[in-house]
Amino acid sequence: MNKNLLALAAVVLLAVVAPMVIPISIANEIIVIAIFAMATNLVIGVAGLYSFGQAMFFGAGAYLTGYSLTAGGLSLVPSILIAIAGAAALAGIVGAVIIRRSGFYFMMLTFAFNQMAFYVVLVWSGVTGGEDGMAGIKRAPVGGLDLNDRSVFYAFCAVLFVASYVILRQIKKSPLGLVLEAAKENPRRMASLGYSVHGAQLAAFMISGAFAGLAGSLYVLLYRFVPIDSISWIMSGNVVFMVVIGGMSSMVGPIMGAAVFVWLQGLFSLLWAQWALLFGLFIIFVVFTLRGGLIELFKRVARIRRAGEAHHG
Amino acid sequence: MLTLSSIDAYYGQSQALHGVSFDVAEGEILALLGRNGAGKTTTLRAIMGLNRVARGVVRFDGRVISGLPTHKIARAGVTLVPETRDAFSLLSVEENIRLGYRTGSPYTVERLLEMFPIIREFRLKKGGELSGGQQQLMVMARGLAMGPKLLLLDEPSQGLAPIMVNAVAEVLSALRRDRLTVILVEQNLRMALDVADRVVILEDGVAVDALSRAAALADPARVEKHLAVH
Repeated sequence: MNKNLLALAAVVLLAVVAPMVIPISIANEIIVIAIFAMATNLVIGVAGLYSFGQAMFFGAGAYLTGYSLTAGGLSLVPSILIAIAGAAALAGIVGAVIIRRSGFYFMMLTFAFNQMAFYVVLVWSGVTGGEDGMAGIKRAPVGGLDLNDRSVFYAFCAVLFVASYVILRQIKKSPLGLVLEAAKENPRRMASLGYSVHGAQLAAFMISGAFAGLAGSLYVLLYRFVPIDSISWIMSGNVVFMVVIGGMSSMVGPIMGAAVFVWLQGLFSLLWAQWALLFGLFIIFVVFTLRGGLIELFKRVARIRRAGEAHHG
Repeated sequence: MLTLSSIDAYYGQSQALHGVSFDVAEGEILALLGRNGAGKTTTLRAIMGLNRVARGVVRFDGRVISGLPTHKIARAGVTLVPETRDAFSLLSVEENIRLGYRTGSPYTVERLLEMFPIIREFRLKKGGELSGGQQQLMVMARGLAMGPKLLLLDEPSQGLAPIMVNAVAEVLSALRRDRLTVILVEQNLRMALDVADRVVILEDGVAVDALSRAAALADPARVEKHLAVH
């Protein structure tokens, strides 16, 4: 079977089976956070831009949705669209300022902008609720669907999750993706071929921002609350961990990373109050033993099977 | 088609070109000769916008291109095939070439694979798995795929096995038949004089002589004295 179809089938299967084997609220958090991780992989894995400020866009989506639904009095779909557009616009503004910097400087600037966004939210408590976050968010019905039903809301998120996977995977394979991957190797060479590398990188940064905004928006709807953590640098660090744990070579990697991150976080916190320590050990283990992330496990198994078939055939 | 007027350019901190002027007519192949460090590569990079032109003007097709960003110079129709080969090591040979292709280029991927029989066999291999000579041919093919009006070739035969040097020479002859405008930087004097219409000689960042192919062939000593080691 075609490799792309197989991956898509696996992603759909995951979305369908997950709520049957683990609590639906955890499954829901996984697919929402997975959108965020895939968006981050477009910037980190595909474009090679080490952004440690992705929570800025996730948080922007979260707060914009929260505000639109409460003070704005808007219905659900426009609130989500505003979150996507707002996060993309913020990524466009931040990106325009920093995209010409590379490596370490780019990383520090994303971090600095993330901190600025965090303090704006913290200080502007009249609108954002400051440290207490933004509460009182309701899931208004969409076209007759009662999103307060957990299964219906899960299905709503699952459709957006699969759609995000398909779109982001297509972008990775598109001419834009090819330009980004090649520019990662040597940006000057791409300029010599007539490509505006900064233009392509800015486009990727904005697309990533848009999907991070969507994830932030769904996160808020899931918990009916916007925690200030959603825009903190820790969230930015966590999503980078997810991408690293899962693997950057395909969009399935970040999904696995998000699943393991969310699920293990829950599991470890039940086992021991100092769960973060166990989690740190797990990340070190993955980085040392599986350099390509968890997705590498599947590739290794496939290679061994192919070798076995070749042997028998 | 291309005019350099009193160009000063830097290689790192040190000035590599001092008031270099020459021009290239449409359909002409110009060989840029000189010793190592004479400023040949810097000249090509300065035209391409990869090294900053500190003084002077580069005009291409009637418009000033010095000061433009590299990708805009490339889009205007100038293509550099660098000496460093510059294959995208993780992409296949065919993807490498396709990355260069511009709609409307007379050099389609299929035509290039015909022109370069050696790389046709390797088209599905990764760029990084090729030998130096194969990479050189692939990068030339990628440059041509852009459909350039002006091709800048930096030492295409350097460090190649004789069979590959012949392959490069064949491509150069094909470009001559196509009447493509080319600036060729080449250490191999015979190869350069085989295809070039004119020669410009650089010495310590200064254009010291310019002569036709006939004049260079008639008086080889005039060229060679600038190329020999002191």
